[in-house]
Amino acid sequence: MRSQFPDSRVTTARTLALLALAVMLASCEAPMDQTPATDAAPGDQQAATAAGAAGQAPPAADTAPNLNGIWQALTSANWDIRPHASGHSPVPELGALAATPPGIGIVEGGEIPYQPWAAEQQRENFANRVDLDPEAKCYLPGVPRATYIGQPFQILQTADYVMIAYQYAGAVRTIHMNDPGPSPAPSWMGWSVGRWDGDTLVVDVTSQNDETWFDRAGNFHSDALHVVERYTPMGPDHLLYEATIEDPNVFTRPWSISLPLYRRVEENAQLMEFKCVEFAEEKIYGHLRKQE
Amino acid sequence: MHQRMNDLIHALRIAGFAALLAAVPVAGYSQSATADSYEPGRTPDGQPDLQGIWSNAVITPLERPPELADKEFLTEEEAIEYERRRQEETNMDRRQADAEADVRSAYNDFWWDWGENIAATRRTSLVIHPLDGRIPALTEEGQRRSDARAERRRLHPSDGPEDRTLSDRCILWVSAGPPMLPTAYNNNFQIVQTADHVLILNEMIHDARIIPLDGRPQLPGDVRQWLGSSRGHWDGDTLVVETRNFTDQSNFRGASENMRLTERFTRVADDVLLYEFTVDDPDAFTESWTVQIPARKTDDLMYEYACHEGNQSMIGILGGARAEEARAAEAAR
Repeated sequence: MRSQFPDSRVTTARTLALLALAVMLASCEAPMDQTPATDAAPGDQQAATAAGAAGQAPPAADTAPNLNGIWQALTSANWDIRPHASGHSPVPELGALAATPPGIGIVEGGEIPYQPWAAEQQRENFANRVDLDPEAKCYLPGVPRATYIGQPFQILQTADYVMIAYQYAGAVRTIHMNDPGPSPAPSWMGWSVGRWDGDTLVVDVTSQNDETWFDRAGNFHSDALHVVERYTPMGPDHLLYEATIEDPNVFTRPWSISLPLYRRVEENAQLMEFKCVEFAEEKIYGHLRKQE
Repeated sequence: MHQRMNDLIHALRIAGFAALLAAVPVAGYSQSATADSYEPGRTPDGQPDLQGIWSNAVITPLERPPELADKEFLTEEEAIEYERRRQEETNMDRRQADAEADVRSAYNDFWWDWGENIAATRRTSLVIHPLDGRIPALTEEGQRRSDARAERRRLHPSDGPEDRTLSDRCILWVSAGPPMLPTAYNNNFQIVQTADHVLILNEMIHDARIIPLDGRPQLPGDVRQWLGSSRGHWDGDTLVVETRNFTDQSNFRGASENMRLTERFTRVADDVLLYEFTVDDPDAFTESWTVQIPARKTDDLMYEYACHEGNQSMIGILGGARAEEARAAEAAR
């Protein structure tokens, strides 16, 4: 059993070292570094138990930290993963109800290195986002968007599987801790194979289809997307989420995102049901209704 | 008292199942670990280990067929004959003489996975209570609700997506539950356990139920969910899951939104998870009823079932209905 959480800056440095060949990253600008230092205080699983309603499980394996619990991102990244000012609602009738909240972004360095055609495609996606955003149709969100789509998710960790169940659309992922071999077919949530790197759960995600977006701003990828996620405890109630994103069909180089995840500590916190199909039926099938 | 009586009845049934597994050599079930001596392994948290991927594929009918009215169990010979006949009837590779019927068989046999065997108990129905193996009659109120639904469907079969079944809409799959039932394919569910939660992931339309085991109260009664609100506890080595707060559209076999569902999961052999559920719903049924399915372990993996994302059928159904209306209007002119 672990007795101490790692210093988040050490983990960040390790990630930066891994990425050194890929990109020179601006350091220390990510939201994780703005987390108050008190949150990174050393703690053990008993502390986590005391602090978190859903964190009562002992570690799933002797050496692995315990990531069990309900987690949520606190960021406006689902509106745009890049730094962005506040903006008009994509649906004017909703007034300020659906206006875009501002955000400092979760992309390391702030820029997504699109190929020129892809930068143009993203602008087109943005212009037509009300019709094109897969979230508007209640489609499965893909990885990494599921992480910061604005609703909580629950990790259930065992030695063989780490399951992540998302409240949004009832999406769910199986992370295979024993590599079952290559994906049999592309899918919306991809094919996830995990391993522990010290205190970090590293998940290699391949075989996602090209239907999902990164956000409501039309940031997108192809089916060549390769995501490597890292989940690292920063304290009893915080995880650092980092992901590197490669897609040679769309980007000129790999890039990365990072954001903290917060444990939902309220008593009796639980995922509730957000089966959004019925909310999207008018949008998808409305033109096929019987006209009286 | 009622609960304790139910627990006792359940314990007797498990013992009965154990004796049966021990006494009857049944094709497809491991004989190495028989249930009367069977002790399930433990998770790192010390709970009975129910984890793995389980298949509900079994061709025992839900309700006892009328011709077997007085017969609770088949003999071994009858079971073999039943399985043979059933496989013949469901074989979708038989070509149909009539072209329209043939098109209805567009999914050939490769796509179907009903299972090949009846339950190891050789029961004639999955319903084990009432003793006649049939779902009890609807109450007057239940019948009224059911008739109203049928009438609505007759008058408005496809005016809009809301008129179609929940399966057509990819909202709820009839077999995925809760409660779960065998169906034509993808009869699989995965159980994952942590110290204070159990996850039951159904392959069909990727429904994941996460069930707290920490004794917390159910959701408030006015919070209704398609899958209801589930809370679990251990009764000896049996996982008991109680679910309520269904919606008034969930409509499991005519049940109302007040259905109270009790599911029991007991590992009775390395490769057999005995799954039982009881439906309590005085607003819909004249008595409660119980189903028993011995689920079998599978080493296969489950893959993503993205139902809504690939729902071309709804576009075809509604588009077809509009085309038919246009044709009828044309003919009437």
